[in-house]
Amino acid sequence: MLGHDSLGDEDLLLGILSTDAGVGAEALRSLGVTLEGAREESEEMLSDALASIGVSLEGVRREAGDVFDMSIPSGRKIPYSPVAKNALVRARREMKMLGDDQFGTEHVLLGILANRDGTAVRMLVRLGVAPEALEDRLRELRGRAAG
Amino acid sequence: MNEKARTRVGGPEDPREGLEAVVALRRTLEALEAAQVENAFIAGWSYARIAEVLGVTKQAVHKKHAKRIRAKYPGRPPGRGGA
Repeated sequence: MLGHDSLGDEDLLLGILSTDAGVGAEALRSLGVTLEGAREESEEMLSDALASIGVSLEGVRREAGDVFDMSIPSGRKIPYSPVAKNALVRARREMKMLGDDQFGTEHVLLGILANRDGTAVRMLVRLGVAPEALEDRLRELRGRAAG
Repeated sequence: MNEKARTRVGGPEDPREGLEAVVALRRTLEALEAAQVENAFIAGWSYARIAEVLGVTKQAVHKKHAKRIRAKYPGRPPGRGGA
């Protein structure tokens, strides 16, 4: 999404999905979450929020023409939102608690999941993924990697 | 429109949806501004004229949009159209 004053925890989630490698993306994919699906859901959430105040995203898109683009502009520095920052702080803590010395997408995902009220978790729930199930899957995949 | 869209939201009973609508609108506004500035550029408008209609300084428009537009339309100078 764009117009972004800040990058939210849902953007961190999209970032994890856009890197094919990594335990984070693997866990998400194994539960049926794809980058494409998450992007669509993200836009759907935005569209629903607009619809709640009587604004049609489709209408805006139609009137603004082909150059209208809601994606994150590349090359522009956008700060993390406080929620996303918290998720990253929490991620680092997860890494230490697990005794890992490499910061990975699984830690970021655990950091994101720590905030059940965040946009990312609500997006996952809308995609049919229970936060607990994702946490279990992450620990499972980690166990496999360690063993 | 879906079921949710028809429900009245944003009242004191549902602050989250009301606040989320503000964020969504802000994001949409930014994307819309970017699109309309680009449309004006394509139509040959100068940044000065675009700024005048947007009610901001020419510098502000330049700072926010010129780099993106220059990258997208290389070799095309801003128009001299209008004021």
